[in-house]
Amino acid sequence: MSSSQTKVKWPILVGGLAVVGALVLVLASGFGIDPKYIPTATVGHEAATFRLKDLQGNVIDFESLRGRPVVLNFWSTWCGPCKMEHPVLQNEPQHYPDVTFLGALYSDEADAARRFLASSRGGRPLALPYPTLVDPDGRLALDYGVSGVPETYFINRDGRIVHKHIAPIDPPTLLACIELARAQGEVAPQAVAACDPERAR
Amino acid sequence: MITFFALWALGAAVAAPEGGPGAEIEELPTEGDLIPGIPPGPPPPPEQVQQIAYEIGLQLRCPVCQGLSVADSTSNAAVQMQNMIRKLVAAGYDEPQIKEFFVQRYGEWILLAPRSGLLWLVPGLGLGLGLGRAGYAMMKYRREPDPAAIAEGSRAPRDRYEQRLLEQLED
Repeated sequence: MSSSQTKVKWPILVGGLAVVGALVLVLASGFGIDPKYIPTATVGHEAATFRLKDLQGNVIDFESLRGRPVVLNFWSTWCGPCKMEHPVLQNEPQHYPDVTFLGALYSDEADAARRFLASSRGGRPLALPYPTLVDPDGRLALDYGVSGVPETYFINRDGRIVHKHIAPIDPPTLLACIELARAQGEVAPQAVAACDPERAR
Repeated sequence: MITFFALWALGAAVAAPEGGPGAEIEELPTEGDLIPGIPPGPPPPPEQVQQIAYEIGLQLRCPVCQGLSVADSTSNAAVQMQNMIRKLVAAGYDEPQIKEFFVQRYGEWILLAPRSGLLWLVPGLGLGLGLGRAGYAMMKYRREPDPAAIAEGSRAPRDRYEQRLLEQLED
């Protein structure tokens, strides 16, 4: 073989490898992302303020909640997964007296929600231990970037959204995310991972 | 977890009950503007509002659908978004302001087409560079004869397969 056939063009080889390496890195990071993950631009930002009536007609002003962590759960009576997480939201708030829990009705009638909460299943009342906001034109849901129900937002003492949980919530996740909302200053990566594995990844 | 998510998505896609949300609740007055910023001009004529809102809705992704725009979907989330677009158009807000309203809540992901023109340029640029490089290599290959062949008067075998073929032909 002649020397011209074995000559390696190093700049082209290194450049090519760099381009291919960069593409592989981009693709590899893409494979780690949950394809069903819906990004939310509101997480990490100030929560939208609101002044809405609850199902009993009481006015709830977001400004009056500042200084306490808030758990805001969007739900509907026509939503099956909301009914699955309902017992969690009935039982867990009593363990967190320092946290304000709020429900928000999503694309539903107030009357339907009142009937649902006044009813019982298997002899067990379905009432929630906290108020549910009525969002007549869906503006609250839009302001929070809600894309379906159930969705639960965790807001810290400063009024900043620290996490949005999509899908029915379970007690361990609720606890982990409340810890995130309670935290002040820098949050340990482990605490973020416990509440939001997708963000931690 | 996957089952939970599937049920959640199904719940989001189910149509809202008739009668409108919160029908019996008295709506509190809205404080301030609909969205930050001032409408750049007077509102469009009422008969154009629907069409303008539809065209903007076509450019926004329905958050709970597979590849559908807000204008094309009948899911709750999309209907509420389309109603909001209509309200903003009727108030005189323009397309960039309305898109920004949704981007601030859902991120750039909500746009079906990226706003940055650079993203459209990159694939074309990559293709152009690749074709250019391939064309250059082909032209060079045609122009430059094998120096070894010129020097020796005949071309040396390229590899051991060609070498073996030549040996067999000689036999």
